[in-house]
Amino acid sequence: MNNVFIDVDYAQIYKHGQKIGGDVFLLSRNPESNQIVCTLSDGLGSGVKANVLASMTAHMAHKLSFSPISLSHSAEIIMNTLPVCKERKISYSTFTIADIHYKNDMENINVRLVEYDNPLSLRFRGTEKITWERERNELRREAAFKKEVVQYSTFDMEIGERLIMFSDGVAQSGLGKTLPLGWRNSGVEAFVTDLVSKQPDISSRELSAAIVQKANSLDGMCSKDDITAVVVYIRRPRKTVIVTGPPFSKESDEVLGEKIRAFDGRKIVSGGTTALIVSRLFNKKITVDLSCWSPDIPPASKMEGIDLVTEGMLTLSQVAKVLEDKTPPSTLPNSPVRKFVEILLDSDQIHFIVGTKINEAHQDPNIPVEIGIRRTIVGRLRAALENIYLKETSQEYL
Amino acid sequence: MKKEKVQVRICVGTACFVQGGSDLLLYNDFVDPAIIAECEIEGCSCLETCKAGGEGAPYVQINGEVHGKVTQEEFARLLAEAVRKNA
Ligand code: FES
Repeated sequence: MNNVFIDVDYAQIYKHGQKIGGDVFLLSRNPESNQIVCTLSDGLGSGVKANVLASMTAHMAHKLSFSPISLSHSAEIIMNTLPVCKERKISYSTFTIADIHYKNDMENINVRLVEYDNPLSLRFRGTEKITWERERNELRREAAFKKEVVQYSTFDMEIGERLIMFSDGVAQSGLGKTLPLGWRNSGVEAFVTDLVSKQPDISSRELSAAIVQKANSLDGMCSKDDITAVVVYIRRPRKTVIVTGPPFSKESDEVLGEKIRAFDGRKIVSGGTTALIVSRLFNKKITVDLSCWSPDIPPASKMEGIDLVTEGMLTLSQVAKVLEDKTPPSTLPNSPVRKFVEILLDSDQIHFIVGTKINEAHQDPNIPVEIGIRRTIVGRLRAALENIYLKETSQEYL
Repeated sequence: MKKEKVQVRICVGTACFVQGGSDLLLYNDFVDPAIIAECEIEGCSCLETCKAGGEGAPYVQINGEVHGKVTQEEFARLLAEAVRKNA
C-alpha cells in the first residue's frame, strides 16, 4: 500500500433558512488515471437557482478536467457557456478547480489550479503560509460589464502541505456584523495557522468543519450566504491493523507477535484467545474494563502496546453492522463497538491479520452458526470500509 | 494485617458471554453488597476452559478454582461460600 495519502474533504453550511445550497462541491477520484478533481462552484445568490447554476458549472468543470482538453481551454469553455446575469452583468457563477495528479507510488503530487472569482485559495506547509505565482488571464465576454479574470497556477505538493479553498461565504462572514470588512483571506489564514499549530495532524474533515463553523459564528450563527470550505492535505496514511483469531499453528504465534510489533500504526486485537496469545507474547497483562459493556457486547480490555482489545465475533459483527448501516459513531453509546468504529473511520489503510485456527468453543451447538465464521465477518468489514468509506484494506491469513 | 480478598474472575470471552456470562456481570444486582466488598472481581478474556471440554460455559474462577455452568444463584452462593471460608 502507498505511503502517501491525499486527504480531501469539505464542510458546508447553507445560507440561513435555505434548504439547498448555491455552493456546490464535487470530488472525484479516478485511480486509473491517478487523478483527483475537486471543484467548488458558487452560484449567484442562493437557493434553487443558484444551486442549478453552481451544479452546472461544477459538473462541466469536472467533466472537462477528466478530458484531455487543457485546463485553461476548459475554463474558457465554461465561461463562455455560463450565462451572464442580465441585471447585474456579472457571471452567474464562480469556480475553483483543483486538478490533482500523482504518480503510481503517490510521489510527485502535482496540482493545477484554476480560480475564477472565488476568494483566492490558500496554501500552507504545516503552519507556514506558502505564496506562489499565478498567471492572470483576462477574458472579455459580450454581455459582461467588466473584464473577467481567470487565474491559473501549477505547483507540487509535499507531505505536510495543505491547500484550502473556500467560497465567499467564508471570506465575507461577519461582514458588517462582528467585522467591518468581513473575515477575509487574512482572517482565514490566521485561523488556520493557529489551529494547525495546536493540532498539526488535523484531518481535512475536521479543519474544513472548523473553518465553516467559525465563519458561521462570525455571522452570528445565522449565515448570510452559503459557507463552504475544502481542504486538501497531503500526509502519511493513518494505518490500523486488526488481529483476530489465533494463528493456525503454535509456531505462527511468534510470527504474529513480530508482525504486531513491527506494525507502524494503531493496533486492535479482537478475540479473547487471540488477546491471551498476544499478552503472553508481549508479556503484558490484560485488564478487562468491566465499566463498559452491554448485553450483546462483552467488555473491552486494556493491554499496554495495543490500542484496543475486544472480544471477537460479537463485537466484529456489531462493528460490521454499524458500518453497513452508516450509523455515525457519535450516536452510539460508549461501548467497545464505538471505539472500534472510531478508530476505523479515523484510518486510511486497514490491514487484517486473520488467524485460522478453529475455535473449539464455537463448535458448541448452543451458539448460532454465524459467529463461528470469522472470514465472512472480515469480508463484510472490508466491503463496507472500501465501498462506503473509501478506505484501503488488505488481509492476510496466519 | 488486612486479609486477602477473594479473587474472582468472570470469563467474558465469546462462548461464556453468550451463554450466561453477561448475566453474571450484573453481580451488583443480585449479590449481597457485604459479600462483594470481600471480593476482588475482575473480567477475563478467556479462562481457556472452554477449549478443554469443561462442564460448559459460562466459567468463573474463584480463588484459582474454575466453576462451569454458573448461573446467577450459583454465583451468589459460590461467592458467599468463598467469603465464609476466607474469614
Ligand atoms: S470463553 Fe470463557 S473460558 Fe473461554
